[in-house]
Amino acid sequence: MDAQAIEKKPVVTSWQGVVRFLHKTPRAFLPMRTFPEIELIASRGIDGDRYLIGQETGFYSHKPEEGRQITLFEMETLEALKRDHGIDMLPEEHRRNVTVEGVPLNHLVGRRFRLGETIVEATRLSTPCRHIEEILGKPVFDPMINRSGLNCKIIVGGTLRVGDTVRPI
Amino acid sequence: MAKAIKTVSTVVSKVEDLGNDTKRFTLVDQDDWELPPFRPGAHIDVHLEPGLVRTYSLCNEPDDGRRYVIAVKREREGRGGSAFLHDRVQVGQPVSVSLPRGGIALDPEGTNVFVAGGIGVTPFISAIRHLDRRGLTNYVLHWASRGQPVLPDMIAPAIKAGRVRLYDTTEESKPIIAGIVGEFGGSGLAACCGPDPMLQAFEQAVATWPDDRKHIEMFTPPKLAAKSDVPPYELYLSASNKHAVVTPDMGLLGTLESMGVDVPVSCGGGICGACRVRWTEGLPIHRDRVLSPTERQSELIVCVGDCAGPRLVLDL
Repeated sequence: MDAQAIEKKPVVTSWQGVVRFLHKTPRAFLPMRTFPEIELIASRGIDGDRYLIGQETGFYSHKPEEGRQITLFEMETLEALKRDHGIDMLPEEHRRNVTVEGVPLNHLVGRRFRLGETIVEATRLSTPCRHIEEILGKPVFDPMINRSGLNCKIIVGGTLRVGDTVRPI
Repeated sequence: MAKAIKTVSTVVSKVEDLGNDTKRFTLVDQDDWELPPFRPGAHIDVHLEPGLVRTYSLCNEPDDGRRYVIAVKREREGRGGSAFLHDRVQVGQPVSVSLPRGGIALDPEGTNVFVAGGIGVTPFISAIRHLDRRGLTNYVLHWASRGQPVLPDMIAPAIKAGRVRLYDTTEESKPIIAGIVGEFGGSGLAACCGPDPMLQAFEQAVATWPDDRKHIEMFTPPKLAAKSDVPPYELYLSASNKHAVVTPDMGLLGTLESMGVDVPVSCGGGICGACRVRWTEGLPIHRDRVLSPTERQSELIVCVGDCAGPRLVLDL
């Protein structure tokens, strides 16, 4: 195959997802509020969220982490919690910022990908914590192991909206 | 390193003097954000100053999601909590509180019989407002008070509708609790909050009732993240030369925190490994899901760990 043919070959992406819900909260323990759009600030976090670097007021803010500027969670996990464990967990209850559908979060550690017009880099898998059980009063710790979402840092900021496409770079 | 945030930050938005040595305090988020949710009749710990933490029932209803309302009677012979609130807490002051705990599991169909003494009415005000908001009338409140009751404004519709029986104990005898709850022996829920003699009379009256049909309001301690199920053991921290006894109610992590040890706990459930600590003596119990068998020979995940023997030595 010559170089021209390669260039013309359509790019096949292995996955493409969509942003279903957006959430933030200004302080530890307070309920997450749902928004139609949020503002991502490169290298810092989400405007108005508790983990915005420089204004940290979150439950884990005593442990600063550059790679926790924005967090994502899979819609499919909410469905699995209901299907496999009978637990009703609402999108605003998992306490991550972005609920996505059709995005294989666990495979993205170390990769950059597009969230609407923004670009993020996945730094590590999120870990469930007993803190969320305390807040929700629901036994979600064990069922969330290995599917508790993804921590990312923001490479290119911008406005992220519900319905935006999530895709690889 | 900054300290971990362990309480909900609120601000006093209103202080009302209700007379009869009682004040009502309204707590809100500084930006009027929603506060953590609660059940009807739940309570919160109010952190007044270091070492001074007091528990009060919320008297507003769960749907009122942006406020915590507490009513506090000054206890002349108390330990200082109510006096602090009455004398030193003002509008605009920041107040840290715990997540709400407890609450009353109301019977959605049967009659809910509430028996209150004085300021003990607060959890039932929350419950009544919750029921009223849903158009439910399956409740009755028997409320004994020395003189004019405080807080009647919060349940004015219920009083007007005849669902509240008031007893002014300066003019009439106290309610006969056995007679009140006896009427509902076959169904519904009975709940009581008030002074000790009232609670004792209530406990006696409902002694044979199943547990899920009776509620005695006593402020329950916070639920422990990890309960210990082993006998007490000695804990020695070799690097700092500190001793303590780990009891089942405190657990290993709670004991370390009470000793002032800053353990870097993260998940609190034994899966992230953040709180691994070297141990040098004892029979550690490993309940984590992160250490290998080799690592367990010298390390312990203390958020879920314990000791099967009389003494555990940690390199802290």
